[in-house]
Amino acid sequence: MSGGAYPVDRVLDPVAIVDWAIDTGLYDIAYSAWGWPLAEIVHFSGLCLLAGSVLLFDLRALGLLRPIPLASLHRLVLLGVLGFALNLASGTLFVASAPDQYLYNPAFQVKLALMALAGANMLAFYALTKGGRRLTDAAGIVRTRVRACALLSLVCWTGVIAAGRVITAFRPPGWFWCAWCG
Amino acid sequence: MIAVLAWLEQTAPSRFMREDFYAYFMALIGHAWGMALLVGGGVALCLRVLVLRGDGADAAPWRALLPLMKAGAVLAIVSGLALLAGYPAKALTNWVFAVKFACLIAATMLSRGLLRGDAPAAKARAALALALWLGGVAAGKLLLYTYAMLTTAEVLG
Repeated sequence: MSGGAYPVDRVLDPVAIVDWAIDTGLYDIAYSAWGWPLAEIVHFSGLCLLAGSVLLFDLRALGLLRPIPLASLHRLVLLGVLGFALNLASGTLFVASAPDQYLYNPAFQVKLALMALAGANMLAFYALTKGGRRLTDAAGIVRTRVRACALLSLVCWTGVIAAGRVITAFRPPGWFWCAWCG
Repeated sequence: MIAVLAWLEQTAPSRFMREDFYAYFMALIGHAWGMALLVGGGVALCLRVLVLRGDGADAAPWRALLPLMKAGAVLAIVSGLALLAGYPAKALTNWVFAVKFACLIAATMLSRGLLRGDAPAAKARAALALALWLGGVAAGKLLLYTYAMLTTAEVLG
């Protein structure tokens, strides 16, 4: 990234990130014969767990899938967290092994922003529902704050899927987006 | 076979899917959303059996997932046909493409069976169905790494 046509990144040093990936062995795993495809499979399996729990919980809170108890879907959210852990591990492998292809990619930047929003939304959800114990009111109606969080979560995660899917369409240097570069 | 694929590639919809910057990626997004609904619903049907206890584990209410999964399947099939139109030779000359469908069809049938409350060996079936759902998605991912040709031009010259 240094010298020449592209801005220099003094904040997120991609060379240092790759050095870290090499030192930790992540780089060798990523570029081994089936490393990248296997990590993608892990990434999509994690996504399936998220879709099978968090996404369905959101839809149920918003009024779909009414016969299914909200609390049952909420219990599955723990597996959604496991799915997210798989995504985080495989995602770290991708970014650390080819940081320039992600950090300066507008689709990845949108994806990360939506994930941060989804994370903040999740914290708000658990703060507002006493750790997920108060999802409905006395009459058994889903509380408005639960529905609001569910809507934001749904928007974030569908956006994360869409932005993640088109990362490959915005590969740097063609789409070199670095607002923080000098 | 190759001649038919070569003809398909020259049809207007096929050219459009390859040449339009937005069309292919819109179809990819639609496919991901459709698969998220279909497989997400299927995974939940398996997890009900594998994880939940007590009243929350009753099978009957979970039938409500079927219309959602159908909607996801329609979206995945329509967008999948658009992707297939763009690169018919890439998918149709790759046996992994058949594996993907075999996994997803078997997973669908097994998961539907789990909705009968009295399904025997339910946990084993649910574990198998879960493996098949994820296997179908894995096979779909592997299409990118296992194709023999992107277009017939590579073999026809």
